[in-house]
Amino acid sequence: MDDAALGARVIARRLLSGGAIQQNWLYEVETNGAREEWVVRTDNAATLAVSRSRPEEFALLRAAWAAGVPVPEPLFQGVHQGKPFFAMRRLHGETNAVALCKAVGPAGDAALLRQCGAALRRIHAIAPPRADLPFLGEPPADAALAFVAQMQARLDDAGTPRPVLEWGLAALRRHAPPPVPAVLVHNDFRNGNLMVEDGRLVGVLDWEFPAWGDPHQDIGWICAPCWRFTNQQLEAGGLGRREDLLAGYGPGLDESRIPFWVLAATVRWAVIAADQGARFLSGTEWTLELALTAHLLPALEWQVLQQVEMLDA
Amino acid sequence: MLERPDAGALVAAARQTVLDALLPHLPREKHYEARMVANALAIAGRAMGAPQPAQDAAALARAIRAAPPLPGTAEYARVHAALLALTRARAAVSAPKAIA
Repeated sequence: MDDAALGARVIARRLLSGGAIQQNWLYEVETNGAREEWVVRTDNAATLAVSRSRPEEFALLRAAWAAGVPVPEPLFQGVHQGKPFFAMRRLHGETNAVALCKAVGPAGDAALLRQCGAALRRIHAIAPPRADLPFLGEPPADAALAFVAQMQARLDDAGTPRPVLEWGLAALRRHAPPPVPAVLVHNDFRNGNLMVEDGRLVGVLDWEFPAWGDPHQDIGWICAPCWRFTNQQLEAGGLGRREDLLAGYGPGLDESRIPFWVLAATVRWAVIAADQGARFLSGTEWTLELALTAHLLPALEWQVLQQVEMLDA
Repeated sequence: MLERPDAGALVAAARQTVLDALLPHLPREKHYEARMVANALAIAGRAMGAPQPAQDAAALARAIRAAPPLPGTAEYARVHAALLALTRARAAVSAPKAIA
C-alpha cells in the first residue's frame, strides 16, 4: 500500500503475520510531522465464510474502543486494489499463548484475570439495537438453542459423521438454560487473542466472530480446557483462576450457566476443527496445519464425553 | 517380501531426523513448521497398524440424532460405552496424551 492509500508518508512496512484469513502489516508512517506505527489488516486469499469482513471488524473495533475495552485504537478504513482494509494503532505486548502460560506461571495471574473479566464486562455492555452494527442482524430469541442449531448445520455441511459431537449437541439441547437478554459476545476471547504487557491486558484482538448472544458464552469459551495449553490446572484460559475472572467481571453472571457454555465451547472448537480438516480433505487448502487440526478432534471429543457426563450427572 | 525397514521404522527415523538433525539448525520462525512435521510423522507412525474402531460411526451418529438416549436408561449406557471405545481408539492415534 502506498502513501496515497494510507494518507501518510510510508517509511517502512513488513508483514507481521499471515493467518489463514487475514494479513497484518506493520507500517511505520509519518503523518502531520509525527512518526507513528500502524497495523493494517487486510484479507488473505482464503476467507472463512463465518468470519466478519474487514469493514465489519472495523465497526466492531470502534464500538469496543468507545465502550472502553482495551483494543488497538481504530484509525480509518479503505479499499486498496479491490480489497477492504483498515488501520489501527500498533500495540506492544505478548500474544503467544504458550509464552503467556509460562509468564503467568503455574499459579496464574489473578490481577490479569480480573482485567480480562472487566474487559468482558465492557464488551457485554454493548447491547442491541445498534445502528452502527447492522450486520449483526436480529439478536436470537434463545442464544443457546440458536447455537445448537447452527452447530448442527455446520456439522452436516462438513459431511463426516461425528457421533460424539451429536452426543454433545443432544446434551446441550437437554441442558439449554433459559434465555437472557442478548449482548455483544466476542466469541474468541481466549489466550492467543489477548495482548499482555508486563502483566497488564493491553489489547483484546481478533474481532472476527462477534455476534449477539449470551454473555456466559464468552466465559465458557475462555474456561474450556482446549485453551489452557501448558497450564491445564488454570481453568481460565491457562492464565488464572475462574474465580478471579468472575470477580473482575462483577455482578450479573449466573455461574450455573457456565458448564453448558463450556461444553458448547468444546463442541464449537471441534466443529471448527472438522471444518478445517474438511478444507484440507477437499484440496481447497492443502496445508499441514489444517491436516493436523483435524487430528485435534479425537482429544476434543474425549473432552465432550467428559463434559456431557458432568452435565448429565 | 517387501524390503525392510518397514514404513513404521522409516517414519520413526524421519521424525527423529527432523527433531535431532534439522530443528536445532533452523531459524526460530521455522520451528513451528518443523514441529508440525514431527507431529504429523508421529501420528502417521501410530496410525500404521492401528486397528480400525469396531464401532460404526455413521450409524451411531444417525441414531443419536434421530432419538438421543436419555440419561439413566440402558440405551444411554450402551451408546456412551460405544462412544468411549470409539474415541479411545481414535485418540490413541491422534492424541494419546489426551486419554493417558
